[in-house]
Amino acid sequence: MVKFEYFEPNSLEEACALLKEHGEDARLIAGGTALIIMMRQRLLNPRVVISLADIPDFDFIRFDAKDGLRIGAGARHRDIELAPVVQEHYPLLYETFRKVAQPRIRNMGTIGGNLVQGDPLTDPGASLIALDAKITLRNAGGHRVIPVENFFVDYYQTDLQPGEILTEIHVPPSLPGLAWAHIKFLPRSQEDFATVGVALTMRLNGDRCQDIRLAFNSVAPIIMRAKRAEEILRRQKVDDDRVGKMAEVASTEVDPMDDNRGSAEYKRELVRVLVRRAVKQALERSATGKQGAKQASAPA
Amino acid sequence: MKRHVALNVNGEEYEIEMEPNRLLLYALRDDIGLTGTKEGCSIGVCGACSVIVGGRLVSSCLTLAVACRGKEITTIEGLARDGRLHPLQQAFLEYGGFQCGICTPGQIIAAKALLDSNPHPTEEEIKEWMSGNLCRCTGYYKIFESIMAVVQGKVRVEDQRAREHREARIQSLGVYKSES
Repeated sequence: MVKFEYFEPNSLEEACALLKEHGEDARLIAGGTALIIMMRQRLLNPRVVISLADIPDFDFIRFDAKDGLRIGAGARHRDIELAPVVQEHYPLLYETFRKVAQPRIRNMGTIGGNLVQGDPLTDPGASLIALDAKITLRNAGGHRVIPVENFFVDYYQTDLQPGEILTEIHVPPSLPGLAWAHIKFLPRSQEDFATVGVALTMRLNGDRCQDIRLAFNSVAPIIMRAKRAEEILRRQKVDDDRVGKMAEVASTEVDPMDDNRGSAEYKRELVRVLVRRAVKQALERSATGKQGAKQASAPA
Repeated sequence: MKRHVALNVNGEEYEIEMEPNRLLLYALRDDIGLTGTKEGCSIGVCGACSVIVGGRLVSSCLTLAVACRGKEITTIEGLARDGRLHPLQQAFLEYGGFQCGICTPGQIIAAKALLDSNPHPTEEEIKEWMSGNLCRCTGYYKIFESIMAVVQGKVRVEDQRAREHREARIQSLGVYKSES
């Protein structure tokens, strides 16, 4: 690993100033699970590493019924998984975060670090898109707020601009009765990346789908929203035909590649299957009124 | 540029001069000499380098040592106390929770982190938690059984004395004298 100068700023202002000063030579470190691997493999060789560990209250998780959920970018996956407000009000997020990698990596990796890495194989982005979450990006001069769905640009590329720090994730208020599903289809072992990941939310009115958000990971260069597929079901009656059509459209909308988790063709077929399965799960949850993901006790 | 970093490992303070790029794994093994923590995959997947930092189970192969200042670090060497094994160590011995042994320190540290926060995990919770520690020998059942033995209170650490007694009996045969 390359030698670097190491800074531990005590505030976001200071971190932004350091980032501005050192420009492209600098990298931020939070949980380190992505950056250290890339540095050990010499894919990244920053001269300056700026730690966000000492920034106070950078890992907050706050819920307000009117405002929704706000998560500091430094919050670790494990903290989000175990947060009572997440388990109670955002079962989709609980279900997503409890399946990320394994507990030790969830103990280390942060939500902000996960998003800025832009790795299309990771889980949180799709569920945040399905919940219409927004992120705050801050630099020395100010800040901007953008939807998570616009953040992913290309393979390992995001809309994060030089000098910017992702500081906060905002999830809108949880809608009572929101139907949801999250499916992480694994190639073999539990801690692996998904072969295909599906996140779905639907607002239902009787047997009609008023609104829908469908997002995927591991099936395109980016974590993506499947807007064309959504249109098949939006403001329509939810029946087998339409759900099948939506699954068909989704399988053409994704852009998977061959890798050791399966061929592109296999992943497209999985999308076809898993979209139908996700809708089924969401409808079942909605019908039984069991919104909570947490039916068994949470792991430690 | 090198700097002095004080690390608290198993209750002892170590003052080490290091580059900020020093990984905790190498600080423990090469600077301090605690080689119980092993390096396996080097990318946070296998769990051989697991240690507890500030109450959290982490991969020391992905952790900068400099970031661990002021935090309590627990490695496998910190588990036995006053000549007595930790119940998990005793259980891994009694229930055959290891074969070649390279993953064992990580397995035991991971299990300790689980039981520290949840002394009575369910079988599913143990399996889920231990999913981050790979073993290429045991098939995992023995590891699982060893942890269950501790959870169910079936391990007595004083058994260590019987083991020492057995060891003394073997030594009394005098067959290894020529090697000492």
